[in-house]
Amino acid sequence: MNTYSWLIRREFWENRAIWMVPAIIGIAQTLAALFGRVDIVALTTPEQSRAVGGMVLFAFGVTFFAVMNLYATWYLLDCLYADRKDRSILFWKSLPISDTATVLAKLATGLLVIPLVYFVAADISTVAMAFIISVRARSAFGSVLWQPDLWLQLQALWLYLIVTTAIWYLPFAGWLIAVSAWAKRAVMLWSILPPLALFLLERWFLGTHVVGTMIRDRLLGYIPRAFHDQSDRSAWVSTVVDHDTITTPGSVWQLLNPVGFLSSPATWIGVVVGVALVVVAIQLRLRRTET
Amino acid sequence: MPALIEARGLTKKYGKHTALDRADFTVQSGRIVGLIGPNGAGKTSALRAILGLTSYEGHLRVLDREPFSDRAALMNDACFIADVAVLPSWLRVDHAIDFVAGIHPRFRRDRALALLAKTQIAGKRRLGELSKGMKTQVHLALTMAIDARLFVLDEPTLGLDILARRAFYDALVNDYMDDTRTILLTTHQVEEVENLLTDVIFINRGRIVLDSSIDDIAAHYAAVAVAEDRLAAARAEKPFYERRTLGKTVLYFERPEFGKLAQFGEVLTPSVSDLFVARLSLRCAE
Repeated sequence: MNTYSWLIRREFWENRAIWMVPAIIGIAQTLAALFGRVDIVALTTPEQSRAVGGMVLFAFGVTFFAVMNLYATWYLLDCLYADRKDRSILFWKSLPISDTATVLAKLATGLLVIPLVYFVAADISTVAMAFIISVRARSAFGSVLWQPDLWLQLQALWLYLIVTTAIWYLPFAGWLIAVSAWAKRAVMLWSILPPLALFLLERWFLGTHVVGTMIRDRLLGYIPRAFHDQSDRSAWVSTVVDHDTITTPGSVWQLLNPVGFLSSPATWIGVVVGVALVVVAIQLRLRRTET
Repeated sequence: MPALIEARGLTKKYGKHTALDRADFTVQSGRIVGLIGPNGAGKTSALRAILGLTSYEGHLRVLDREPFSDRAALMNDACFIADVAVLPSWLRVDHAIDFVAGIHPRFRRDRALALLAKTQIAGKRRLGELSKGMKTQVHLALTMAIDARLFVLDEPTLGLDILARRAFYDALVNDYMDDTRTILLTTHQVEEVENLLTDVIFINRGRIVLDSSIDDIAAHYAAVAVAEDRLAAARAEKPFYERRTLGKTVLYFERPEFGKLAQFGEVLTPSVSDLFVARLSLRCAE
């Protein structure tokens, strides 16, 4: 365990963007809350304040979540390749750290540590923004943002997202890290070309779309499996605010669908494929020291 | 006492190219061994195999382990500097020490700090900001602070100026070496290391050409500078190599009869670099 904590600390030294990017987003959002325009909507009923408060708190985290996904993708693609590119792999391999530990630490950094850092940054910046907006808007809007159960739901949503996306997208993460262990250059291109070539070859020669469908289902299949459908009306409530009807989850608890997610065969097929690709990445890391 | 490194029929192929061709050699504990050969001879392939960085065919035991499958455990007792240019440029000197101290059970932080204190390198500097000579000092401090039984260096002084090279080898011999340790180093600059080696392994085109201690060289090889008029008689003693210098011809003999050779001139022990040239030229002539 000690080895892993050092390996992850080393990722923070190497990739300062892990904490600098969320820090910058947080600072930018806080400045926006300080100097931006605060529109005050007249909210009268508890339903309205719950719906709007929840949406605003959620919206504060959206930028973090979007950037985090892009960054984590890039990180996984670059992490093993970077060691070979600057030849520092020869230094890391001179230490008593197994290649398995190295690959797993990097995988965990991309799938869990980076999302957690963004989560913490999003939380801190949300608290700061909620505080600033409450002060600036006085009592008119402030109380909307300080509903303990909404905060609790927000934490639960983030943690649920982190864990379930890590599981669902494990095959993608495994693919990226295997490319990172293998490619001699142009990791970005190598991550895209083989699946694209397979897709095109299949279309031209067989006229089928198995590869394309598989990739699409993996990309888009997460939300329907991890969350209850919007058509499941019990989970969603509509509130009229200022002549607009907004539909929001009644609560996060009703929205999350861990049982459906964990009992879906697609989840576990993905885990098997992902683990296989991680094993490939470890074997490549074992054998490949040159770029 | 079992050998620290034992290779039998060690072979490494890259596609059709054979980098190591059934190499046999042993390294005993407490020695400073030079693995010497021209560029592309297979030195680096041999080291990579010994350090578990590459797969291979044949028998190889290092510190009683199979290096490729057991690299991480091997690195508890062995350490290496593959090339001084491989420390990551983003790493800070103090973080490098923290990291190795955290990971390595045999790293002695006080020793690393003492070694670094002799240099003018501040802990907060990133390795990328340091000159090549300074990077070498950091790498050496990190590695020499490990209580390892085997220390492997691959062309450690490549790209360093003469002052840094000299300082490097002085530190290695004076501050590091004792009889519990073994050093294996490769170089193509034989002259630079010949005075500190206890053993040499010559390698050429993937084959081991010579595996001998320096002491045995004196017993097994002789060089005699022969004047022109005695040359025919001296050649009758079957030298394996000869070289013309300044009106004399130096003849090199393997397993010489010292008594007989003395009549032709002063019998000397060939230097490692002369022997290297003689041995390799012989192979080329075959």
